[in-house]
Amino acid sequence: MSDKKEAVAGGQPGAGLLPRLKEEVSQKTYLSRETLQSIAGQTGLPLNSVYGVASFYAYLPVAAAGKNIIRVCGCLPCDLKDAQGVIGRIKKELGIEPGQTTPDGKFTLEVVGCIGACDQAPAMLINDTLYGNLTAESIAGILKSC
Amino acid sequence: MGNVNVIIDGKKVKVKESSTILEAAEACGVTIPTFCHIKGLLPTGVCRVCVVEVQGSRTLVGSCHTPVSEGMVVSTHTPRVVAARKVIVELMLTGHTGDCVNDPNAENCKLHNLASDYQVGAPRFSVRAPRFFPVEDSNPYVRRDLSKCVLCRKCVKACREVARKDLLSIGYRGFRSKVVSGYDEPLTAEVCRDCLICIEHCPTGALSRPVKV
Repeated sequence: MSDKKEAVAGGQPGAGLLPRLKEEVSQKTYLSRETLQSIAGQTGLPLNSVYGVASFYAYLPVAAAGKNIIRVCGCLPCDLKDAQGVIGRIKKELGIEPGQTTPDGKFTLEVVGCIGACDQAPAMLINDTLYGNLTAESIAGILKSC
Repeated sequence: MGNVNVIIDGKKVKVKESSTILEAAEACGVTIPTFCHIKGLLPTGVCRVCVVEVQGSRTLVGSCHTPVSEGMVVSTHTPRVVAARKVIVELMLTGHTGDCVNDPNAENCKLHNLASDYQVGAPRFSVRAPRFFPVEDSNPYVRRDLSKCVLCRKCVKACREVARKDLLSIGYRGFRSKVVSGYDEPLTAEVCRDCLICIEHCPTGALSRPVKV
Protein backbone atom coordinates (compact mmCIF):
# COMPACT_ATOMS: atom_id res chain seq x y z
CA MET A 1 0.00 0.00 0.00
CA SER A 2 2.79 2.45 0.91
CA ASP A 3 4.52 2.26 -2.48
CA LYS A 4 1.11 2.76 -4.09
CA LYS A 5 0.70 5.96 -2.09
CA GLU A 6 4.16 7.23 -3.04
CA ALA A 7 3.38 6.62 -6.68
CA VAL A 8 0.49 9.06 -6.41
CA ALA A 9 3.11 11.75 -5.74
CA GLY A 10 1.27 13.66 -3.08
CA GLY A 11 -2.01 13.90 -4.98
CA GLN A 12 -5.30 12.12 -4.46
CA PRO A 13 -5.55 8.65 -6.01
CA GLY A 14 -6.44 9.23 -9.62
CA ALA A 15 -4.88 12.70 -9.79
CA GLY A 16 -3.66 13.41 -13.31
CA LEU A 17 -5.35 10.32 -14.72
CA LEU A 18 -6.93 11.90 -17.79
CA PRO A 19 -3.78 13.77 -18.92
CA ARG A 20 -1.85 10.49 -18.57
CA LEU A 21 -4.41 8.60 -20.66
CA LYS A 22 -4.36 11.35 -23.29
CA GLU A 23 -0.58 11.29 -23.45
CA GLU A 24 -0.53 7.51 -23.93
CA VAL A 25 -3.16 7.55 -26.62
CA SER A 26 -1.25 10.22 -28.57
CA GLN A 27 1.61 7.73 -28.95
CA LYS A 28 -0.36 4.55 -29.50
CA THR A 29 -3.46 3.61 -31.44
CA TYR A 30 -5.23 2.24 -28.39
CA LEU A 31 -4.85 1.69 -24.66
CA SER A 32 -3.74 -1.87 -24.04
CA ARG A 33 -4.13 -3.79 -20.80
CA GLU A 34 -0.42 -3.32 -20.06
CA THR A 35 -0.65 0.43 -20.60
CA LEU A 36 -3.66 0.82 -18.32
CA GLN A 37 -2.06 -1.44 -15.71
CA SER A 38 1.02 0.77 -15.57
CA ILE A 39 -1.10 3.94 -15.39
CA ALA A 40 -3.13 2.33 -12.62
CA GLY A 41 0.07 1.74 -10.67
CA GLN A 42 1.21 5.32 -11.17
CA THR A 43 -2.08 6.90 -10.16
CA GLY A 44 -2.86 4.60 -7.23
CA LEU A 45 -6.11 3.32 -8.74
CA PRO A 46 -7.20 -0.24 -9.44
CA LEU A 47 -7.14 -1.34 -13.09
CA ASN A 48 -10.94 -1.57 -13.25
CA SER A 49 -11.29 2.12 -12.31
CA VAL A 50 -8.81 3.21 -14.95
CA TYR A 51 -10.58 1.04 -17.51
CA GLY A 52 -13.91 2.53 -16.41
CA VAL A 53 -12.65 6.05 -17.09
CA ALA A 54 -10.95 5.21 -20.39
CA SER A 55 -13.88 3.25 -21.80
CA PHE A 56 -16.22 6.17 -21.03
CA TYR A 57 -14.48 8.39 -23.60
CA ALA A 58 -14.82 7.89 -27.34
CA TYR A 59 -11.31 9.31 -27.87
CA LEU A 60 -9.62 6.90 -25.47
CA PRO A 61 -9.98 3.63 -27.41
CA VAL A 62 -9.64 0.48 -25.31
CA ALA A 63 -10.22 -1.99 -28.11
CA ALA A 64 -7.52 -2.75 -30.63
CA ALA A 65 -7.90 -0.24 -33.45
CA GLY A 66 -6.49 0.19 -36.94
CA LYS A 67 -3.68 2.56 -37.92
CA ASN A 68 -6.20 5.26 -38.84
CA ILE A 69 -9.34 5.81 -36.82
CA ILE A 70 -12.18 7.34 -38.82
CA ARG A 71 -14.68 9.09 -36.57
CA VAL A 72 -17.75 10.19 -38.49
CA CYS A 73 -20.07 12.58 -36.70
CA GLY A 74 -23.50 11.07 -36.28
CA CYS A 75 -25.20 14.01 -34.58
CA LEU A 76 -28.23 15.90 -35.82
CA PRO A 77 -26.70 18.69 -37.97
CA CYS A 78 -24.45 16.21 -39.79
CA ASP A 79 -27.30 13.76 -40.07
CA LEU A 80 -29.45 16.44 -41.72
CA LYS A 81 -26.64 17.03 -44.22
CA ASP A 82 -26.64 13.33 -45.13
CA ALA A 83 -24.04 11.88 -42.78
CA GLN A 84 -25.78 8.55 -43.39
CA GLY A 85 -24.84 8.73 -47.07
CA VAL A 86 -21.23 9.42 -46.12
CA ILE A 87 -21.18 6.56 -43.62
CA GLY A 88 -22.76 4.27 -46.20
CA ARG A 89 -20.04 5.13 -48.72
CA ILE A 90 -17.22 4.57 -46.20
CA LYS A 91 -18.76 1.21 -45.29
CA LYS A 92 -18.86 0.31 -48.97
CA GLU A 93 -15.31 1.47 -49.67
CA LEU A 94 -13.80 -0.33 -46.68
CA GLY A 95 -16.19 -3.23 -46.41
CA ILE A 96 -16.64 -2.79 -42.66
CA GLU A 97 -19.38 -1.73 -40.27
CA PRO A 98 -18.99 0.97 -37.59
CA GLY A 99 -16.95 -0.44 -34.71
CA GLN A 100 -14.94 -2.71 -37.00
CA THR A 101 -11.39 -2.61 -38.34
CA THR A 102 -10.35 -3.49 -41.88
CA PRO A 103 -8.55 -6.86 -42.20
CA ASP A 104 -5.31 -5.09 -43.20
CA GLY A 105 -5.47 -3.07 -39.95
CA LYS A 106 -5.40 0.23 -41.82
CA PHE A 107 -8.77 1.70 -40.85
CA THR A 108 -11.20 1.55 -37.93
CA LEU A 109 -14.62 3.11 -38.50
CA GLU A 110 -16.61 4.71 -35.70
CA VAL A 111 -19.72 6.84 -35.59
CA VAL A 112 -19.29 9.32 -32.75
CA GLY A 113 -21.15 12.17 -31.08
CA CYS A 114 -20.71 15.82 -32.12
CA ILE A 115 -17.13 16.67 -33.10
CA GLY A 116 -17.78 20.41 -32.98
CA ALA A 117 -17.68 20.97 -36.73
CA CYS A 118 -21.39 21.58 -37.34
CA ASP A 119 -20.53 24.53 -39.62
CA GLN A 120 -18.83 22.05 -41.96
CA ALA A 121 -21.48 19.33 -41.70
CA PRO A 122 -21.28 16.52 -42.54
CA ALA A 123 -17.84 16.11 -41.00
CA MET A 124 -15.46 13.41 -39.90
CA LEU A 125 -12.09 13.06 -38.25
CA ILE A 126 -9.37 10.75 -39.47
CA ASN A 127 -7.02 10.60 -36.49
CA ASP A 128 -6.52 14.31 -35.72
CA THR A 129 -7.38 15.68 -39.15
CA LEU A 130 -10.80 17.19 -39.75
CA TYR A 131 -12.60 16.68 -43.05
CA GLY A 132 -15.69 18.84 -43.52
CA ASN A 133 -18.41 19.45 -46.11
CA LEU A 134 -18.19 15.80 -47.12
CA THR A 135 -20.02 14.25 -50.00
CA ALA A 136 -20.32 10.57 -50.74
CA GLU A 137 -18.23 11.21 -53.87
CA SER A 138 -15.33 12.76 -51.95
CA ILE A 139 -14.85 9.73 -49.69
CA ALA A 140 -12.80 7.50 -51.97
CA GLY A 141 -10.22 10.24 -52.62
CA ILE A 142 -9.82 11.02 -48.91
CA LEU A 143 -9.40 7.38 -47.97
CA LYS A 144 -6.83 6.91 -50.71
CA SER A 145 -4.74 9.80 -49.40
CA CYS A 146 -4.39 8.15 -45.97
CA MET B 1 -22.47 20.08 14.93
CA GLY B 2 -25.90 21.48 15.75
CA ASN B 3 -29.34 20.04 15.31
CA VAL B 4 -31.96 21.11 12.82
CA ASN B 5 -35.75 20.84 12.87
CA VAL B 6 -37.50 19.30 9.91
CA ILE B 7 -41.07 18.24 9.21
CA ILE B 8 -41.56 14.96 7.37
CA ASP B 9 -45.08 13.97 6.37
CA GLY B 10 -46.37 16.31 9.10
CA LYS B 11 -44.13 14.83 11.81
CA LYS B 12 -41.71 17.19 13.51
CA VAL B 13 -38.27 15.76 14.10
CA LYS B 14 -34.96 17.13 15.36
CA VAL B 15 -31.89 15.56 13.76
CA LYS B 16 -28.18 16.22 13.38
CA GLU B 17 -27.26 18.84 10.81
CA SER B 18 -25.28 16.32 8.75
CA SER B 19 -28.21 13.89 8.37
CA THR B 20 -29.84 13.09 5.07
CA ILE B 21 -33.59 13.33 4.54
CA LEU B 22 -33.70 9.52 4.52
CA GLU B 23 -32.06 9.34 7.96
CA ALA B 24 -34.41 11.99 9.32
CA ALA B 25 -37.40 10.05 7.97
CA GLU B 26 -36.13 6.90 9.64
CA ALA B 27 -35.77 8.79 12.92
CA CYS B 28 -39.47 9.68 12.92
CA GLY B 29 -40.75 6.36 11.63
CA VAL B 30 -41.45 7.34 8.01
CA THR B 31 -40.43 4.72 5.47
CA ILE B 32 -39.02 5.86 2.14
CA PRO B 33 -38.37 3.12 -0.41
CA THR B 34 -34.76 2.78 -1.50
CA PHE B 35 -33.04 0.66 -4.09
CA CYS B 36 -29.41 1.61 -4.70
CA HIS B 37 -28.76 2.85 -1.17
CA ILE B 38 -26.67 0.85 1.32
CA LYS B 39 -27.14 2.11 4.86
CA GLY B 40 -23.92 3.45 6.32
CA LEU B 41 -22.08 3.76 3.00
CA LEU B 42 -21.61 6.79 0.81
CA PRO B 43 -24.82 7.43 -1.12
CA THR B 44 -24.65 7.22 -4.91
CA GLY B 45 -28.16 8.47 -5.65
CA VAL B 46 -28.36 6.77 -9.04
CA CYS B 47 -31.66 4.86 -8.87
CA ARG B 48 -33.90 7.81 -7.90
CA VAL B 49 -36.43 5.52 -6.20
CA CYS B 50 -36.11 7.47 -2.93
CA VAL B 51 -37.16 10.82 -4.40
CA VAL B 52 -39.33 13.04 -2.20
CA GLU B 53 -40.98 16.42 -2.48
CA VAL B 54 -39.34 19.27 -0.57
CA GLN B 55 -41.34 22.46 -0.11
CA GLY B 56 -39.77 25.26 -2.16
CA SER B 57 -37.76 22.91 -4.35
CA ARG B 58 -38.58 23.00 -8.05
CA THR B 59 -37.67 19.35 -8.58
CA LEU B 60 -38.03 16.19 -6.56
CA VAL B 61 -34.87 15.41 -4.60
CA GLY B 62 -33.17 12.11 -3.80
CA SER B 63 -33.62 11.61 -0.06
CA CYS B 64 -30.66 9.25 0.39
CA HIS B 65 -28.13 11.92 -0.57
CA THR B 66 -29.81 15.27 0.18
CA PRO B 67 -28.84 16.76 3.55
CA VAL B 68 -31.54 18.25 5.76
CA SER B 69 -31.70 21.96 6.49
CA GLU B 70 -33.47 23.99 9.17
CA GLY B 71 -37.22 24.23 8.64
CA MET B 72 -37.29 21.79 5.73
CA VAL B 73 -40.78 20.45 4.94
CA VAL B 74 -40.70 17.06 3.24
CA SER B 75 -43.52 14.95 1.78
CA THR B 76 -42.62 11.37 0.97
CA HIS B 77 -45.76 9.95 -0.62
CA THR B 78 -47.58 12.70 -2.53
CA PRO B 79 -49.23 11.78 -5.85
CA ARG B 80 -46.39 13.55 -7.66
CA VAL B 81 -43.77 11.47 -5.83
CA VAL B 82 -45.61 8.19 -6.32
CA ALA B 83 -46.14 8.91 -10.03
CA ALA B 84 -42.42 9.64 -10.43
CA ARG B 85 -41.40 6.49 -8.56
CA LYS B 86 -43.65 4.38 -10.75
CA VAL B 87 -41.99 5.61 -13.93
CA ILE B 88 -38.53 5.23 -12.36
CA VAL B 89 -39.21 1.59 -11.50
CA GLU B 90 -40.75 1.02 -14.91
CA LEU B 91 -37.65 2.41 -16.61
CA MET B 92 -35.38 0.17 -14.57
CA LEU B 93 -37.55 -2.84 -15.37
CA THR B 94 -37.18 -2.02 -19.07
CA GLY B 95 -33.42 -2.48 -18.79
CA HIS B 96 -33.76 -5.57 -16.60
CA THR B 97 -33.83 -8.11 -19.38
CA GLY B 98 -32.44 -11.23 -17.80
CA ASP B 99 -33.99 -14.63 -17.77
CA CYS B 100 -36.14 -14.29 -14.63
CA VAL B 101 -38.52 -17.10 -15.58
CA ASN B 102 -35.89 -19.77 -14.95
CA ASP B 103 -34.43 -18.07 -11.91
CA PRO B 104 -35.31 -19.85 -8.65
CA ASN B 105 -34.40 -16.67 -6.73
CA ALA B 106 -36.56 -14.33 -8.79
CA GLU B 107 -38.91 -13.83 -5.86
CA ASN B 108 -36.02 -12.20 -4.02
CA CYS B 109 -35.51 -9.67 -6.80
CA LYS B 110 -35.88 -6.29 -5.11
CA LEU B 111 -36.77 -4.64 -8.38
CA HIS B 112 -39.70 -6.99 -8.91
CA ASN B 113 -40.80 -6.46 -5.32
CA LEU B 114 -40.66 -2.72 -5.78
CA ALA B 115 -42.62 -3.01 -9.03
CA SER B 116 -45.28 -5.00 -7.25
CA ASP B 117 -45.42 -2.51 -4.34
CA TYR B 118 -45.94 0.33 -6.79
CA GLN B 119 -48.23 -1.63 -9.08
CA VAL B 120 -45.97 -1.25 -12.08
CA GLY B 121 -47.00 -3.58 -14.84
CA ALA B 122 -45.03 -4.67 -17.87
CA PRO B 123 -42.90 -1.72 -18.98
CA ARG B 124 -44.43 0.19 -21.89
CA PHE B 125 -41.06 1.44 -23.17
CA SER B 126 -39.56 -0.39 -26.08
CA VAL B 127 -35.82 -0.83 -26.52
CA ARG B 128 -33.90 -0.79 -29.77
CA ALA B 129 -31.85 -3.79 -28.72
CA PRO B 130 -31.95 -5.67 -25.43
CA ARG B 131 -28.88 -5.36 -23.25
CA PHE B 132 -27.52 -8.85 -23.55
CA PHE B 133 -24.35 -10.18 -21.94
CA PRO B 134 -23.35 -13.82 -21.78
CA VAL B 135 -23.40 -15.28 -18.28
CA GLU B 136 -19.95 -15.34 -16.68
CA ASP B 137 -19.45 -18.35 -14.47
CA SER B 138 -15.70 -18.83 -14.70
CA ASN B 139 -15.26 -17.70 -11.12
CA PRO B 140 -16.01 -20.42 -8.54
CA TYR B 141 -17.51 -17.91 -6.10
CA VAL B 142 -19.52 -15.42 -8.15
CA ARG B 143 -21.73 -16.00 -11.16
CA ARG B 144 -22.42 -12.82 -13.11
CA ASP B 145 -25.49 -12.49 -15.33
CA LEU B 146 -25.13 -8.88 -16.42
CA SER B 147 -28.27 -8.93 -18.57
CA LYS B 148 -30.16 -8.70 -15.28
CA CYS B 149 -28.02 -5.86 -13.97
CA VAL B 150 -29.76 -2.48 -13.70
CA LEU B 151 -26.54 -0.60 -12.87
CA CYS B 152 -27.49 0.31 -9.31
CA ARG B 153 -23.76 0.25 -8.45
CA LYS B 154 -24.33 -1.52 -5.12
CA CYS B 155 -21.73 -4.19 -5.95
CA VAL B 156 -19.21 -1.50 -6.93
CA LYS B 157 -19.78 0.25 -3.62
CA ALA B 158 -19.85 -2.94 -1.52
CA CYS B 159 -16.63 -4.22 -3.09
CA ARG B 160 -14.95 -0.88 -2.49
CA GLU B 161 -16.28 0.14 0.90
CA VAL B 162 -17.26 -3.11 2.63
CA ALA B 163 -14.93 -5.72 1.15
CA ARG B 164 -12.21 -3.09 0.52
CA LYS B 165 -11.16 -4.85 -2.66
CA ASP B 166 -12.29 -2.30 -5.25
CA LEU B 167 -12.47 -4.80 -8.10
CA LEU B 168 -15.56 -3.44 -9.85
CA SER B 169 -16.25 -0.23 -11.74
CA ILE B 170 -18.75 1.10 -14.24
CA GLY B 171 -17.32 0.96 -17.74
CA TYR B 172 -18.44 2.47 -21.07
CA ARG B 173 -21.33 4.91 -21.14
CA GLY B 174 -24.99 5.30 -21.86
CA PHE B 175 -26.69 2.24 -23.26
CA ARG B 176 -23.43 0.27 -23.29
CA SER B 177 -22.69 0.86 -19.59
CA LYS B 178 -21.85 -2.23 -17.60
CA VAL B 179 -20.06 -3.26 -14.45
CA VAL B 180 -16.51 -4.20 -15.39
CA SER B 181 -13.68 -5.86 -13.54
CA GLY B 182 -10.06 -5.44 -14.58
CA TYR B 183 -9.70 -4.75 -18.30
CA ASP B 184 -13.35 -5.74 -18.82
CA GLU B 185 -12.51 -9.37 -18.23
CA PRO B 186 -14.22 -12.09 -16.22
CA LEU B 187 -13.53 -12.01 -12.48
CA THR B 188 -10.72 -14.44 -11.88
CA ALA B 189 -10.41 -16.51 -8.73
CA GLU B 190 -6.98 -14.95 -8.16
CA VAL B 191 -8.38 -11.50 -7.48
CA CYS B 192 -11.94 -12.27 -6.34
CA ARG B 193 -12.16 -14.57 -3.35
CA ASP B 194 -15.15 -16.01 -1.58
CA CYS B 195 -16.23 -12.97 0.45
CA LEU B 196 -19.63 -13.00 -1.33
CA ILE B 197 -20.30 -9.44 -0.19
CA CYS B 198 -21.31 -8.25 -3.65
CA ILE B 199 -23.79 -11.12 -3.96
CA GLU B 200 -25.45 -10.14 -0.66
CA HIS B 201 -25.89 -6.59 -1.94
CA CYS B 202 -27.06 -7.32 -5.50
CA PRO B 203 -30.80 -6.55 -5.59
CA THR B 204 -31.61 -8.26 -8.88
CA GLY B 205 -29.91 -11.64 -9.03
CA ALA B 206 -27.34 -10.42 -11.56
CA LEU B 207 -24.78 -11.68 -9.07
CA SER B 208 -25.35 -15.07 -7.49
CA ARG B 209 -23.54 -18.08 -6.15
CA PRO B 210 -22.68 -20.51 -8.90
CA VAL B 211 -24.93 -23.53 -9.07
CA LYS B 212 -22.95 -26.64 -8.23
CA VAL B 213 -23.54 -29.37 -10.76
